[in-house]
Amino acid sequence: MKETVERIEKYALKKEAGKSYTSETFSKVGIVGCGNLGQEVARMVSNTGVDVVFLEVSKGKIDDALSGISKDLDNMIERWGMTESDKRAILSRIDGTLEYSGLKGCEIVIEAVKSKTREDSVGLRKKIFKEIERVVDKRTIIATNSTTLVITELSSELDHPERCVSLHFISPAADVPVVEVARSLHTSDEAYKRVCKFARLLGKRIIPVIESPGIISTRLIAPMINEACEILMEGVADMEDIDATMKIGFGFPYGPFEMADKIGIDVVVRWLDNLYKEFGDIKYKASPMLKKRVRASHLGRDTGVGFYRYDLNGKRILQEKRDPCL
Amino acid sequence: MKILIINSGSSSIKYQLFDMEEHAVLAKGSVEKIGMLGSFLKNHRNDGDVVKLEGEIVDHQAGIEYMLGVLTSQDHGSLKSLEDINAVGHRVVHGGEKFKESVLISDKVISKMEEVAELAPLHNPPNLKGIYAVSELLPDVPQVGVFDTSFHQTMPDYAYMYAIPYSLYKKYGLRRYGFHGTSHRFVSNRACSLLNTELKKQKIITCHLGNGASITAIKHGKSVDTSMGLTPVEGMIMGTRSGDLDLGVLTFIMNKEEIGVQSANTLINKHSGLLGVSGISSDMREVEKAAEEGNKRALLAIKMYSYRIKKYIGAYCAAMGGMNIVVFTGGIGENDTLTREKTCSNMEFLGIKIDREKNKNTKGKEDIISAKNSKVTVMVIPTNEELVIAQDTLEIISKIGKG
Repeated sequence: MKETVERIEKYALKKEAGKSYTSETFSKVGIVGCGNLGQEVARMVSNTGVDVVFLEVSKGKIDDALSGISKDLDNMIERWGMTESDKRAILSRIDGTLEYSGLKGCEIVIEAVKSKTREDSVGLRKKIFKEIERVVDKRTIIATNSTTLVITELSSELDHPERCVSLHFISPAADVPVVEVARSLHTSDEAYKRVCKFARLLGKRIIPVIESPGIISTRLIAPMINEACEILMEGVADMEDIDATMKIGFGFPYGPFEMADKIGIDVVVRWLDNLYKEFGDIKYKASPMLKKRVRASHLGRDTGVGFYRYDLNGKRILQEKRDPCL
Repeated sequence: MKILIINSGSSSIKYQLFDMEEHAVLAKGSVEKIGMLGSFLKNHRNDGDVVKLEGEIVDHQAGIEYMLGVLTSQDHGSLKSLEDINAVGHRVVHGGEKFKESVLISDKVISKMEEVAELAPLHNPPNLKGIYAVSELLPDVPQVGVFDTSFHQTMPDYAYMYAIPYSLYKKYGLRRYGFHGTSHRFVSNRACSLLNTELKKQKIITCHLGNGASITAIKHGKSVDTSMGLTPVEGMIMGTRSGDLDLGVLTFIMNKEEIGVQSANTLINKHSGLLGVSGISSDMREVEKAAEEGNKRALLAIKMYSYRIKKYIGAYCAAMGGMNIVVFTGGIGENDTLTREKTCSNMEFLGIKIDREKNKNTKGKEDIISAKNSKVTVMVIPTNEELVIAQDTLEIISKIGKG
């Protein structure tokens, strides 16, 4: 007998069947800005079976992001972390868009853009938030991944600022099982709970925080990198040895210079600038070692040179180190 | 007496509706892609009516609600009303040491199941979701849990313990539990009734060879050893699972390839087995096709696969002090004549002699494939786990007077 196809809704036991749960689940997540972190988040969210749409400024950027995600997945397959069919499934759920209207229907939209200066970053993000609000439902969560910019400020001009939070992933977002979730002065309990539910769906431990520039992660890591630069500048030790001390001595997966290269030295400087501006403490004043590299566009792994040198695949080019005892 | 059987997975729910008096399956189907885009429910009624219902199915509860909706619907239903459902039987993957047999589900049982869930974090939580949903939607209908592990709870301690510090067994319940219990139980019972012999007098080795694979030694009706352990990765070579592996290999790989626990887990569960060795497929049919065309790795994978089974048959024969019956079941066990032939070749010294013609002609049906003069009877028996769950459910609700 032939198979018939029908809509499922009329088979509900009660009129409202199914619908009552809708708002509590996530079926589509939007990401604005699909650089490194945006790509990591897209890959991670899609891996849970949820559709992802990301907004970029040009067709070229969309292609870059998709090929970046694809490359990351290939790396995972090569390192036994997933299978080809997992990859196909993940990619099939990720789509790029050039229009904000593409974000329609998302239950949560995460802003993850990279900007050059502080002035630029606040203004730009405020504009992005407004654009998102124009197309999404009034209950849709709007989150930023930024830590040094406070969410209260970013959401202040929205009609519904109560749905905004700061959701800070630590790169590599898919592998780090922790996320900082900060609420603003406006954030409602309901929105906060839903964001926590989303974070749990991603398998993250939630670190609930009150909004504060730099939250926990950035406020601790940025001054450490800064201090490492001071040690280097004073000639106390070289980069390799400073990194080795923190890695071997304290179990850090990366030393401060490796970390700066990984994060992007320009990003580190912007963090420090923001922290300095907010707290006024001299310890947040970016070291000349960092600023010098930003001026030279030696930004780290992405540009091939930072504190260390990298090949095209982002792999560090190791230089032979002399034996200190000789 | 109508019993609904539910097998609730992470994003799908399979179901069958049994009429126990008529020994008939009235309807069966599945809810797929729960909580995802493109979710649907497909129902097959026993008169051939097939319907696919498309639309948003946000979670397990919604899925079960629609399932009940279609089963009681005018156009595609098999029941007049929900009140016609006398009981619901659930497949539950892991019962730990707490569940030695199928049980009537109560709040206390649910909280015990929740405790056990950490032993099978991928499987038990979705099983529980099915139970929660039915409790909500059919609060007055008795529910029964049937566990994949409980049949193996008769294993003696020297068979189920791992030789690791005893404190870890105490702390986490780390031991061998085994899986596919309902299947091993069903085919061993069925074999004895087909042969018209008493289960209590037989030493049976049952080979469940599907996408996952396990072998069980059943002495006098009780499982005394089985090849899967704490998780379903121990024992046989499977589609994508390695089966038995020197642990040193895994720590070596983790060290050399600099991978973590999760990737190591994916490596042995998804990249290994037939797929890993052959590089062709996890599907035995495709591996055999490649081997026929001269692919050496495919041929190697096939040889390794049946060699592993053969080793276990020898081991379990020794463990039981002999054997009378060997049963093949599961997709490969029921249909793959080559695997059966290779496994049973050169086993005459143990009393296994296969009738090659009969073996070749037996696919997906009950039959004896051993030669007339074989001391051990070798059989093929298609498994029916849902029927076991339905029978257990019936038995339990009859005891409490609701049947």
